Amino acid sequence: MPKLAPLTKLILTAAVSVWALLIPTLTGQMALAAGQLLLLAFYRPTGKHWQAVSGLALFAALLAAIQYVFGSGLEFSLMSGLKMFVMSLVFVFMLATTRLQDLTAALVSQCRIPYEYAFMFTSALRFVPDFLEESQAVREAQACRGYVFRGNPLKRLMDYVAIVEPLVLRAVSRSETMAMSLELRGFGRKGRRQFTADVALSSPDYVAMIFMLVLTIGLAIV
Amino acid sequence: MMAVNFEHFSYAYPNSGVVLDDITLDIPVGSFTVITGPSGAGKTSLALAITGVVPHYFGGRQGGAVQIGGITSAQSSMGELAEQVGTVLADYESQLVALTVAEEVAFGLETSGFNRSQIAERVSQALMLVGLAGLEEREVAGLSGGQKQRLAIAAVLVTAPDILVLDEPASALDPEGAAGIYELLHTLNCQGKTVVVVEHQLARVLPYASQVVVLQAGSLQFAGDLRQTLAFMWQQPELRLGVPPMWAIKLTLEEQTGLSLGDWKTEEQAATELNKLTRTCAEGVAKSA
Ligand SMILES: Nc1ncnc2c1ncn2[C@@H]1O[C@H](COP(=O)(O)OP(=O)(O)OP(=O)(O)O)[C@@H](O)[C@H]1O
Ligand SMILES: [Mg+2]
Repeated sequence: MPKLAPLTKLILTAAVSVWALLIPTLTGQMALAAGQLLLLAFYRPTGKHWQAVSGLALFAALLAAIQYVFGSGLEFSLMSGLKMFVMSLVFVFMLATTRLQDLTAALVSQCRIPYEYAFMFTSALRFVPDFLEESQAVREAQACRGYVFRGNPLKRLMDYVAIVEPLVLRAVSRSETMAMSLELRGFGRKGRRQFTADVALSSPDYVAMIFMLVLTIGLAIV
Repeated sequence: MMAVNFEHFSYAYPNSGVVLDDITLDIPVGSFTVITGPSGAGKTSLALAITGVVPHYFGGRQGGAVQIGGITSAQSSMGELAEQVGTVLADYESQLVALTVAEEVAFGLETSGFNRSQIAERVSQALMLVGLAGLEEREVAGLSGGQKQRLAIAAVLVTAPDILVLDEPASALDPEGAAGIYELLHTLNCQGKTVVVVEHQLARVLPYASQVVVLQAGSLQFAGDLRQTLAFMWQQPELRLGVPPMWAIKLTLEEQTGLSLGDWKTEEQAATELNKLTRTCAEGVAKSA
């Protein structure tokens, strides 16, 4: 499978949503879903991603069932379930096949999103594992001091404050350190940013984009 | 030649009392300077004054001046100072902002005007220096404490600063990890970098320190080489506990026997000298018998 640039995948995400809205028939939607699954399979995703796909499928089925139960027609229910599946599947495809940092690089250098916003996004993700680890540590520390997380939900919720407070304090001191270190490393410096990720477009990208354009126009006309 | 020069420098945070009081201190080029002292003495603040974080980031009031490589910190920006000074903060984990090891190191170079292959080359050089070669694609979150510490060092080394300032670089590490970091700093020091570390466990820096600075309650108590400083600390009841156990033995021996022993930088050195001493003692006893 040719390697597509992150920008192409971003455009594909938008295009698939448009197609899902344009395609009027059930078979068409099913073809779109099948096409995406096929495409995903070509990129050999991990088990985790297949799990996400089946989760989405389940959710879509549930959505259709609920609509049907509440009196919508069968075709309409199936149609909205499928639409939702098709539109969300493309995000799984994008996230499964693109590194986040490449996505950031594409957003900044090709979509002209200000670097600060894109940076905020990736660095937030960078701190998720640390944050989980810390909340575990705080919980253990509080347990050592005899804190028991039991009882009715309200009491448990109140107990959580005991965890949240140290976590928030830690997060504040962390962001302080980070701000300091960013300044020390020339974050605010003006000048063109040379990303290490290579997100340039190549011929498969142009082919894919032409294909998407033709398909969109075709669907819009018929 | 002085890398850093404090001249009657005083400083107070925006909402604190005076935390550094009339500091006059020279840090020579190529030295391995250790800042030590009790908790709250102002060690971190002094280190941050070299990097320009104090006063540029915090604000506050300052008196006197700090010169870094000939430029006055108050008159230049943190960015300009960063070209000369690489800083590893005490909370080095929060200093790491990228997802992977290679990106972390590349981060400081992204606006430097280098192209992609130049950046990649410098990144792998820096990682090689700190012993993390081959981990380029690893996620930062999955590294061990010692590896993160090395990564933080690589990330500042990549911009080739002349001075490295590190605040308690081994605080979160086990003894081997700590020794590893200090050996790395020693290597960098031998390659010509001026190294300034804050460290309250002096035992860790005995083999490497060329200058030891003692702070207490914001004042400079003493600055000198290892022997001078430890002898001074030994005389001060409040600082005595900061003397490493090995030197406590040496200084006690010297006090009790009037002998003059060498500078014990390593345990081997101490052991050799003690062996020699006991041998001459035994010979003396044998002769007199
Ligand atoms: N951001 C700040 N705002 C106000 N006061 C501060 C700030 N940071 C430190 N201080 C105060 O400055 C004094 C010196 O602190 P500093 O962190 O420099 O000490 P230290 O010697 O590094 O201590 P430790 O060994 O605990 O790290 C302390 O009294 C501290 O309360
Ligand atoms: Mg400190």
